[in-house]
Amino acid sequence: MLKIQNLTKIYKGGKTAVDDLSLTVHPGDIYGFIGSNGAGKTTTIKAIVGIHDFDKGTITVDGKNVRRDPVACKQIMAYIPDNPDLYEYLTGIQYLNFLADIYRIPAGERQERIRKETEDFGIYDVLGDLVSTYSHGMRQKLALTGALIHEPKLLVLDEPFVGLDPEASLTLKEKMRGLCDRGGAIFFSTHVLEVAEKLCTRIAVISGGRLVVEGNTEEVTGDKSLEDVFMEVIGHGKTD
Amino acid sequence: MGRQTRLLFGLSLQNLFGWNVFRHTRDAGKRRRYRLFGILWGFLALILLFYVGGASFGLCYLGAGHLVPALLVMVVSGITFFFTLFKAGPVLFDREAYERQIVLPVTARAILVSRFLSMYVTDMLLGFLVLLPGMAVYGALKGPGLSFWLYGIVAGLFLPLLPMTAASILGALVTGISSRWRRKNIVAIILTMVFVILVLAGSFSLSGMEEGMLEDMAHTIVEHLEGQISGIYPPARWISQAMLEGRAGSLALFLALSVGIFLVFLGVLQFFYGKICSLLGANAARGNYRMTGLRARPVLGSLVARDLRRYFASTIYVTNTLIGAVMQVMMVLALFFVGKEQVEEVLGLIGRPGLLERVMPLALGFLPGMMPTTAASISLEGKQWWILQTLPVTRQEIARSKILVNLMVAAPFCLVSEILAVLVLQPGWVDLVCLVLFPALFLLFSAVVGLAVNARFPVFDWDSEIKVVKQGSSATLTVLANFLAFLVPMVLLVGCPGVPSFWIYLGMGAVMGLVIMVVDRHLEWQSREK
Repeated sequence: MLKIQNLTKIYKGGKTAVDDLSLTVHPGDIYGFIGSNGAGKTTTIKAIVGIHDFDKGTITVDGKNVRRDPVACKQIMAYIPDNPDLYEYLTGIQYLNFLADIYRIPAGERQERIRKETEDFGIYDVLGDLVSTYSHGMRQKLALTGALIHEPKLLVLDEPFVGLDPEASLTLKEKMRGLCDRGGAIFFSTHVLEVAEKLCTRIAVISGGRLVVEGNTEEVTGDKSLEDVFMEVIGHGKTD
Repeated sequence: MGRQTRLLFGLSLQNLFGWNVFRHTRDAGKRRRYRLFGILWGFLALILLFYVGGASFGLCYLGAGHLVPALLVMVVSGITFFFTLFKAGPVLFDREAYERQIVLPVTARAILVSRFLSMYVTDMLLGFLVLLPGMAVYGALKGPGLSFWLYGIVAGLFLPLLPMTAASILGALVTGISSRWRRKNIVAIILTMVFVILVLAGSFSLSGMEEGMLEDMAHTIVEHLEGQISGIYPPARWISQAMLEGRAGSLALFLALSVGIFLVFLGVLQFFYGKICSLLGANAARGNYRMTGLRARPVLGSLVARDLRRYFASTIYVTNTLIGAVMQVMMVLALFFVGKEQVEEVLGLIGRPGLLERVMPLALGFLPGMMPTTAASISLEGKQWWILQTLPVTRQEIARSKILVNLMVAAPFCLVSEILAVLVLQPGWVDLVCLVLFPALFLLFSAVVGLAVNARFPVFDWDSEIKVVKQGSSATLTVLANFLAFLVPMVLLVGCPGVPSFWIYLGMGAVMGLVIMVVDRHLEWQSREK
């Protein structure tokens, strides 16, 4: 579903944010992307979704190259940043309807999907209000709803659980599992290692822009906790 | 100045002209851009310097040199008032900045004063750019005494206070009234435009008076002119008396009036300030939504609808970009109601038959095209730019939606003006074609140029819309480019009366068409690069 080969991103000023990174996310995977602050997680994610250009390597989504065919790639994926800034001058329903227009969802179908997703996240009643009146958590829920209404094959999330209440976190986890059961895939970054350990089928740890560990969650953790593994490999990353 | 005010003012000074970012950024491209625009602003200041110096020299040459100080004061006050009128409301009542600062141990009064001072510094610098070259030319030619320089500098320091206070009162009124409505922005836009139209109408009648005054001056009826100046703006006479006759009392009168009115304004506003800022943030949330049916639009239509909502959500964006279109309609209305002959007289076109008809298509295109919405439309995406970047839309679709918004906003004004102009001028078929098509082409051209400039110099990390709408490098460059596109055909139309205007418009139209095509291709190329 997502294939990254030899991705390298060097920022202006010469800092290498991502260095020769390769990984593959298969259909059905919930792929956790773990690393310290500044390790290169968000840069990698932004390269996947088309915000950042990159210097070397290739990224393909469902076999389509994100550089050569960006619109086709974006049509089948969805992205939510860690702190989603949404259009404050639109109401919730105007924002979702705008996204439905862009993803070309037929009028009848969008109505049902929007109703279902927003009811699941508990924001249906406030859809007529301006986004500027929403709390941080409500904006997060609206962004999640917007990412799900076109039923993407690949969902890319940057720290999705930050700011969500426990109920919404549970709903999101169910949505993630549901999407993967239908053959989709999730690629998400997180600092919450307990969530990653319980939720992810595959895990990758990035340190200093390089991939230091990658594999099935059970293989990576073995008889240790993910926290122990993380501290161990990050330590290795630093001494290397 | 209290400690709190000083600290807050210092904070805003650090951000003045992006100086702090320039000092600390490691992004070489950003530094290069700052240098480039530093040079551009320097160039503009140089033009202003020569213009003011030349005008002062002209007055001295005509034997009316003693009018230089009064006219300089009037020009500075007029510019300050007009610039502050648009930004006073958004700067003084910047709700987000207010919420960041009011949680600190500072008073609302300190916040208010620090914001006023941050506007004051830029207006004062601009004022001195006008004042100093004029004073220098007068000083070189007439050799005045020390009091001329001393009182001139002191007056220059306080000169922005009166016009800024007057404009801030209007800004506070607009913001205060609109804050009580559910649709705050629309109310603020309407009120601001009403004030702008009133001010413009007033300045049109003043400019008519100035024309008359300049004619009088040419006939050396200087006493009459002095009477006019003091009638229009008495502080100009007081400062003039102080600078030319060394009357310290006149200067003291000016200073007392400026500071007194400012303190009264401050004293009154501080009681309502916090409440207005709070009301601005109080958006009514009903929480009772029921889905009744959703309308599906094509992608471009949806992008345009969103862009239009963005446009009308910003008072400063609307007022700044619509001012040209409003001026256009006012000009044609004057033509319609006052008559062609009188307008020609006011514009000094008497004895040049047919010139008004020749330049009308250009004027109708330039005024609404001077400051297109596209010059800031990419920057105004701000922190929400990620949404368009990650949606399945091409750069070209985004570009076209932004150009369409500009056309939709300006076209109604253009159409009304064209109809009125046709009724008044009753042109032949060839001139009619120019009058209808050229303004439309200019509108499209200016929108495309604005977008190209903004795509090249976008700023997404702004903390106030003013920084990209009014003070942005993209907006400045766009106005310059459009002014150049206006100046070249204007010189040809006025300077080559033997060349039929049709050919000049055809040639200019071909160049503009070419630019539009090149930019369209360039933007397509950029979308592949993304």
